[in-house]
Amino acid sequence: MKDFLRRFARNRAALGGAVILLAVIAMALLAPVLYPGNPWDMVAEPFLAPGADPGYPLGSDMMGRDLAAGIFHGARVSLLVGIVATAVALLLGVSIGAVAGYFGGWVDDVLMRLTELFQTIPAFLFAIVLVAIFQPSVTTIVLAIGVVSWPPVARLTRGEFLSLRSREFVQACIAMGMGDLRIIVLHCLPNALAPIVVTGSLMVATAILTEAGLAFLGLGDPNVMSWGTIIGAGREVLRSAWYVCALPGIAILLTVLAINLFGEGVNDALNPKLKNR
Amino acid sequence: MSVLRFVVSVSLLVFLGAPLSGAQEPVKGGTLTMVVQPEPPGLVSAFNSAGPIGVVSTKILEGLITYDYDMNPKPSLAETWKVSPDGKTITFNLRKGVKWHDGKDFTSADVQFSALKVWKELHPRGRSTFAKLTAVETPSPLIAIFKLSEPSPYMMSALSGYEGQILPKHLYDGTDIPQNPYNNKPVGTGPFVFKEWQKGNFILLERNPAYWDKAKPYLDKIVMRIIPDASARAAAFETGEVLLGGFSPVPLNDVKRLEATGKFDLETKGYEYLAPLFLLEFNLKNKYLQDKRVRQAIAHAVNKDLVVKTVWFGFGKPATGPVPSVLTQFYSAAVPQYPFDIKKADQLLDDAGFKRGTDGKRFKLVHDFLPYGSDYQRTAEYLKQALGKVGIDVEIRSQDTAAFLKRVYTDGEFDMTSNFFYALPDPTIGVQRIYWTKNIKKGVPFSNASGYSNPEMDKVIEAAQIEHDRKKRKELIGRLQSIAQEDLPVLDLFEVRFFTLANKKVQDHTNSAEGVYGSFSGVWLKK
Repeated sequence: MKDFLRRFARNRAALGGAVILLAVIAMALLAPVLYPGNPWDMVAEPFLAPGADPGYPLGSDMMGRDLAAGIFHGARVSLLVGIVATAVALLLGVSIGAVAGYFGGWVDDVLMRLTELFQTIPAFLFAIVLVAIFQPSVTTIVLAIGVVSWPPVARLTRGEFLSLRSREFVQACIAMGMGDLRIIVLHCLPNALAPIVVTGSLMVATAILTEAGLAFLGLGDPNVMSWGTIIGAGREVLRSAWYVCALPGIAILLTVLAINLFGEGVNDALNPKLKNR
Repeated sequence: MSVLRFVVSVSLLVFLGAPLSGAQEPVKGGTLTMVVQPEPPGLVSAFNSAGPIGVVSTKILEGLITYDYDMNPKPSLAETWKVSPDGKTITFNLRKGVKWHDGKDFTSADVQFSALKVWKELHPRGRSTFAKLTAVETPSPLIAIFKLSEPSPYMMSALSGYEGQILPKHLYDGTDIPQNPYNNKPVGTGPFVFKEWQKGNFILLERNPAYWDKAKPYLDKIVMRIIPDASARAAAFETGEVLLGGFSPVPLNDVKRLEATGKFDLETKGYEYLAPLFLLEFNLKNKYLQDKRVRQAIAHAVNKDLVVKTVWFGFGKPATGPVPSVLTQFYSAAVPQYPFDIKKADQLLDDAGFKRGTDGKRFKLVHDFLPYGSDYQRTAEYLKQALGKVGIDVEIRSQDTAAFLKRVYTDGEFDMTSNFFYALPDPTIGVQRIYWTKNIKKGVPFSNASGYSNPEMDKVIEAAQIEHDRKKRKELIGRLQSIAQEDLPVLDLFEVRFFTLANKKVQDHTNSAEGVYGSFSGVWLKK
């Protein structure tokens, strides 16, 4: 673990990513303290430019809502959606991939054809269809993102399990008469975890982007303010009040970049072959 | 000499005699490119009241009469008309020499067919407007006599090219009218002839050289472009690619910027005929909303001025009741009012027995908004905030238009909506459907979804339907407004002000209450 941290810290980009990510998490945690009111409250004059009023450092949108409050509270929603959607995708992907890779044969065939079926549908369009059918709410959005992003995880897990399946320690477990579930969970999964964690961390970034994209198209949960919601609402005033779109846009850009850098850093640090790069 | 030609020559004289007024003589020729949004589902309004159809179809097909800004009838396909003293017989003298675009003569048989077989049977509002119409007699090809079982004074407001469109009997008789192929390539009597419809792209109309109003139309062609994205429409206006658009064609918050360029005319007149009203519908089956005090509290909690000013960028006027102020003949301001007053709202809710809980909330309502664009969503966001202040927890639910209409008008599974209705020139046509017990009809969009039923209201509504005396009828409609404002089954928020945006080159595009539903025969382009 110490070794891992040392290797991670040597990677400056990854460290920078981690710092930004921590800042975003801090924003999310501090939102109710710094901006105790509701971010939807119309508190200021509409269309305040950033810096025009010290009370509202990032300005206000067309309804007079404080953009700073929106961005802080938006961090909560965006991170929450990113993490929960990824958890859903990992749960689905790892389960399916593990079963397919471990049992092989017809089970593998069926599950992989199913995975390919999902892979052939463009993820974002599929997410739009799901959200449109089930009406936009945080739950449906999280589920939709989870449902469209599990196939790569499943394929990755299957690959890992295929190679683990033939290793001697797994064969030994089987010879000892251990149950399949126990072997999968206790012996194979821990050994396949590293690449899954890396993929998962990158998926959080994709999930945040997907949520923002859905909200931009008007398919966000109308009751919660996410960064995508602010951008979607501000799109119409892009020519007269660019900052309504730009500020949450920058927040998304930084967060997604930070998560990617962080994920890459973890990947490099976990990969023994790159130890002396 | 036709009346219209007389009017034209008189106005020409006026123009020549008053060069300082800035009026110019129309120039012939040119192509008018305009936007129609969204793409219409067909091109005939006679049995489908959908807005975008009206924009296209009224250039091709016509009604018996047309209207000025004050809704006074003017001749169109009918040159003169006479209402009998008992109000039960209306005789129309039709214009001579009018031909359909395929060369056949226009006759009273077309009027008879359209009124009885199309409007009365198929038009969503026509069914009630023409309910009392029993027969149309055609003693000669140029005379149509409408026979009514009871006087229907509002009928004279429903004979425009949009609300009472005349279809060619020879192409429609004996066919399944809503499925007739001519609905997508209409044949009319109007100033423009249908040429081509490239779905998702444009609709092309060309000048009718045999139009009955000989000097008109001035334009050679009209191209109606379909541009689904509001911001893209704004860009098309800026580049001059599009010259005109009705029904607020660009984002409301972009209007100031476009106006500042000095290239455009912003016209809010021309929507008097529709008189659109933005309102909240309450489901009276809801255990909280069935209490009148709760509905009145909501009325006190909503700041209508703020909704108009901030949410709708000033494109509206706070409503005082169910009849919009543009309906000058019927509007009454002397009805119960609910000024913005949070304390009063709190008090009413306390009185109703819905005290605040420990979290400051009294109860929860789900709000469905008509998904017509970001202005509608912002209104829902505002309502959530405003009602939160008085302890009503509002959850916004978004869905597509079809799902919204089904939820509200078929399933009745809603608490509160934000929506808009056309009040139209006469309360019997536009307003009564919200309050009449007989309009509690499952599956009929834009009817009495609240489930409001008040015998007193029904009596007033039914009396107003057949009251022939103008003054007495006005009194009845005043009564309707008072009861509606007292009971508040819906809360009228504001009168929507649509606008027409036109490049300064386009002249005379709005000269009656019909606005972009006009025939455009008098529109011309400055060189």
